[in-house]
Amino acid sequence: MKLNRLAISEEGFIFDPETGNSYTVNETGLKVLKALRAGQSPSEIAEALSEEFEISVPEALRDVEEFLESLKRFRLWEES
Amino acid sequence: MIKVAVSGINAVDNPGPGLGIIKGLRQGKIPVAPIGLAYDAMEPGIYLDHLVERAYLMPYPSEGEAPFLNRLLYIKEKEGLEVVIPALDAELPLFIDLESRLSAYGIKSFLPTKEQFRLRAKDRLQEVARRIGIKIPQTLAVTSIKELEEALSELSFPVMIKGLFYKALKAYTPAEAQQYFYSIAAEWGYPVLVQEVVEGEEVNVVGVGDGEGGHFGLLAIKKLWITSLGKIWTGVTITHSGLLKAAEDFVRAYAWRGAFELEVIAQDEDLYLVEINPRFPAWIYFAVGVGINLPERLLAAALGQEPERSWDYPAGKLYIRFTDDLVTELEVFQHMVTRGER
Repeated sequence: MKLNRLAISEEGFIFDPETGNSYTVNETGLKVLKALRAGQSPSEIAEALSEEFEISVPEALRDVEEFLESLKRFRLWEES
Repeated sequence: MIKVAVSGINAVDNPGPGLGIIKGLRQGKIPVAPIGLAYDAMEPGIYLDHLVERAYLMPYPSEGEAPFLNRLLYIKEKEGLEVVIPALDAELPLFIDLESRLSAYGIKSFLPTKEQFRLRAKDRLQEVARRIGIKIPQTLAVTSIKELEEALSELSFPVMIKGLFYKALKAYTPAEAQQYFYSIAAEWGYPVLVQEVVEGEEVNVVGVGDGEGGHFGLLAIKKLWITSLGKIWTGVTITHSGLLKAAEDFVRAYAWRGAFELEVIAQDEDLYLVEINPRFPAWIYFAVGVGINLPERLLAAALGQEPERSWDYPAGKLYIRFTDDLVTELEVFQHMVTRGER
């Protein structure tokens, strides 16, 4: 998976050593990225976010999917 | 102290590789006294005496072999020149033709062969790409407006209009394509190439082939910020495994000898070969800065020594080019104009 090759800093700076591209994410984006790398599914991540931010699971899932869309756009994420 | 002549000391807005090469040589273990070869008395390297010990004006390669050879032999006589590292496309055919004669006079170099040099022609890219297992953007060679129109009907806009060796312009309309066709044909002759624009990441790799299918190190980079002339201003090292493999396959397939740079577009897993440069690029100091002193390794090879071959480098090292100022005496310019040397 492309996500595994990314260098992710605690400040939310992401560097792709294959393409040289860099990105920034906010704190939540960083959490989602780390969870994806740890092998969690979007619904598992949404559940964790819903608990942490006190929002409904569908709302959290929508946000996670939106984030995944951005990753897809940057060719960093492929649906398995 | 090895006396090494280096050309391309024109550190201008379209910089030559010479000063980067010299900085690398000076940082290497082999003690060197760099001699700058210039084609104009205003080339900045002439005035940078902390880098360039002595500087000489050269006759243009278009003046032919005899004046060029005589000038190099004159420098040999005056300075004890031992090695020459040419860095400009236009002079390379002469240096390649003269390599064995210069070597007999005690001036060594480490250059591609004539056949290897010919691979840089853009109408040869297809065969190179196929041989090393990568692609090229769809490219059609045209020699008339009628052929241009036919080519344009096969491709979608924008397209690149390119000279066989130099110049590339992006055309968004048929009128623009026609205008660029005429201007490139007038400047660089026929055929003119019409090429599909492939979207992706522009990545580059530099290396020195050992002439036997191996190499003395590779470095892959991505240009992050370029000037209006397309020249790198900021870049970052990358470890694109497909790109580095393509470079190793290239060196192996052609037993490449000497410096080279491959320009490639990476689109997901696909790589498209765009250009082969048979020399160091102007950003060669980037390799030196990350611990792969390719200029020094090329010098060692020219001297018949076995250069280092390790080329581990980290991804994410940053390259920053910057401008600088210097104030000096008119005398230096005067010497270059009147004597052709300083």
